[in-house]
Amino acid sequence: MTLYTPTHVGTVTKYVFVDSPDITPQNLSIRAYEISRGLMIKETCFGLQITGMPDEVARVIAELRTLDPSHIFVKDRGFPPGDPRRCRANLGGARPGYYGHEFEVALLRYISRGLDRIAACEKDGLPAPEAPPKKLYTTRLDVKRLKKIIDAEEP
Amino acid sequence: MSQPVRVAQLSCGPEHSGVQKEIYDAAAAVNAEMFFPDVTLNDIRESYGAFGLEARSADLRLAIARAKALVEGRVDADAVFIATCFRCAEAAIVRNELRRYIHENSDLPVVSYSFTERTTSGTLLTRMEALTTIARRRALLAREVQEGLTMGVDSGSSTTKAIVMQDNRIIGAGWAPTTNVLGSAEDVIKTALEEAGVARNDLEATGTTGYGRFLIGEKIGADLIQEELTVNSKGAVFLADRQRGEATVIDIGGMDNKAISVQDGIPGTFTMGGICAGASGRFLEMTAKRLGVDITELGPLAMKGLSGEVPMNSYCIVFGTQSLVNALAAGSSAEDVAAAACHSVAEQVFEQQLQEVDIKEPVIMVGGTSLIEGLVHEMGKLLQTKIVVPPHSQYIGSVGSALLASGFIRGDSGEGA
Amino acid sequence: MAKVFIYPATSLILSDMVERWGHSPLGAAVAVREHIQSPGLDSPPLQMTADDPKRGLKYAAVEVPSGVRGRMSLFGPLIEEADAAIIVNDADLAFGCMGCARTNELVKYLIRKRGVPVLDLVYPSCDEDGVAFVAAIKAFLSDLSGGEP
Repeated sequence: MTLYTPTHVGTVTKYVFVDSPDITPQNLSIRAYEISRGLMIKETCFGLQITGMPDEVARVIAELRTLDPSHIFVKDRGFPPGDPRRCRANLGGARPGYYGHEFEVALLRYISRGLDRIAACEKDGLPAPEAPPKKLYTTRLDVKRLKKIIDAEEP
Repeated sequence: MSQPVRVAQLSCGPEHSGVQKEIYDAAAAVNAEMFFPDVTLNDIRESYGAFGLEARSADLRLAIARAKALVEGRVDADAVFIATCFRCAEAAIVRNELRRYIHENSDLPVVSYSFTERTTSGTLLTRMEALTTIARRRALLAREVQEGLTMGVDSGSSTTKAIVMQDNRIIGAGWAPTTNVLGSAEDVIKTALEEAGVARNDLEATGTTGYGRFLIGEKIGADLIQEELTVNSKGAVFLADRQRGEATVIDIGGMDNKAISVQDGIPGTFTMGGICAGASGRFLEMTAKRLGVDITELGPLAMKGLSGEVPMNSYCIVFGTQSLVNALAAGSSAEDVAAAACHSVAEQVFEQQLQEVDIKEPVIMVGGTSLIEGLVHEMGKLLQTKIVVPPHSQYIGSVGSALLASGFIRGDSGEGA
Repeated sequence: MAKVFIYPATSLILSDMVERWGHSPLGAAVAVREHIQSPGLDSPPLQMTADDPKRGLKYAAVEVPSGVRGRMSLFGPLIEEADAAIIVNDADLAFGCMGCARTNELVKYLIRKRGVPVLDLVYPSCDEDGVAFVAAIKAFLSDLSGGEP
């Protein structure tokens, strides 16, 4: 049995995903370096990982979000960046969590649309969009949606 | 050191059970490295759909996708290790089907294992060693003929055996209960050499297997120190003269049981279990003791009895023995009790282990317990086949060892192949 | 600021939404980080040991597989700590910490049993869904005390 001595104690690591027509992961990382004040920044294909003390990381993330609020997404990570225990190069394949990200990243465009709509409503002083409860595992086509499809049909 | 053997891991649960490190350690001990076949999310969706087994757990779907990537050659591996949580029904179904799928559709050696949080690298070592041996030493394992003068020593948990072979024949044998590992080995080696009429210096190569293989192997300077799964497979097909084609080898040992599905003498899939002593040779020893007969008399006694006459409702070695005691007190005959004990062991091995390998005929039973006629009879009834018990079956490990060791005489062991 | 348990606990989207609107997401990363940053016996990758499934006995009996109990040792304390929860019910492609269906069934049940406010959703599959999804989360979070208005 080997004893384990942790590193990066007291820090947090956050993923910053960017899925934007205007901002690239590279733009994001340049801005992050400018304001990082010594935080650990790691560029990735989807955006960044930022590691440091919680308040500092929160400050940088708040600032980064302003670049494109509807297209930047943030999540906690348990491991520090590049950790060999989770590194694809060591595992031979992706760590399991990667596939979950892959799945959700494909849905981010819908979330961005929602964020944009809400922001627009707020800006124009309009009520927030309605959020009707959605049935789980709908097997039959919703009547309203069916009507929409019929209406959309070219005459 | 040669390139590590790359073992693909298909699993659900080891990280959260705290046993992934144990898997890594067992692999590292035999110069293997675990890896996780790379697939994409799309692969997972498509593979899971195409495989057709509806698993609700995403990690099992991932395991299915990884298995398909291996079978379809999209990812290279030398061997496959399938591991899921003990007592998970969903995982047991997936584990078993993936094992079968890989075995039937590729040449990859595969072992499946269900772990608990108590699983240690020591438990996994023999299985991992066998996997890497099959991947790394195919040339050595292809050997079918013993040449020269060689000796094999099998240090089991109950007994220690030695065999001296010359020109494909057994010329000396030694047997002793295992007490002091090295001491027992010295005794059996001496006996075997005396019977063979040769001196230790005359031996051209030696091999060791069983629990004490490393200790004894180092002491006698063995050319081959090898786990018992591959060695016993080889010994079984050699003694039963079934070197080519399919076979199933069953070895009910003192401490653990092995069930090995063999192709041309090389294990394809195997299980090695030993959670409960009620499914071991030890239980039969206790039964013999309680009946006041020698273990060698238990088999013939059981053949005269009817196992169904004695109620046995526990697999546990303690409660099982209690059932036997109760039956004797209630007037059951010693013959029926002996038969019931044999049936109980056979049934437990059948239910808990033989479901994990595909039974292909001939079924060869080996090891000391294969001499217990009643046990072989009960196993045959359960498997509905005539079981082959080859001559010298109790010396299986030693014979396999002596046979494989002869590959080292002229350095044609196939190492590095 | 409310502590909001997210399901799937590995969700990027939910973690983001909760944090974006001023609350604290309770997800797998929080529990894993605690393991990664605590000294003990070395047991990569998650630094979980045989003791963790034993801690999971608080949530599931010994005949429940070790992987379920180990995962419950991560999620159980988070559920106990949560002031609210958001559940995406069709999270069939969440792996690793969320890779075990039996654990996931138990996690959802224990959240509902706690009686804290729970928002039930399914993943969006079009723009219209996306708007409703985000609007529902924002409205839910706004009703919790301490968040961004």
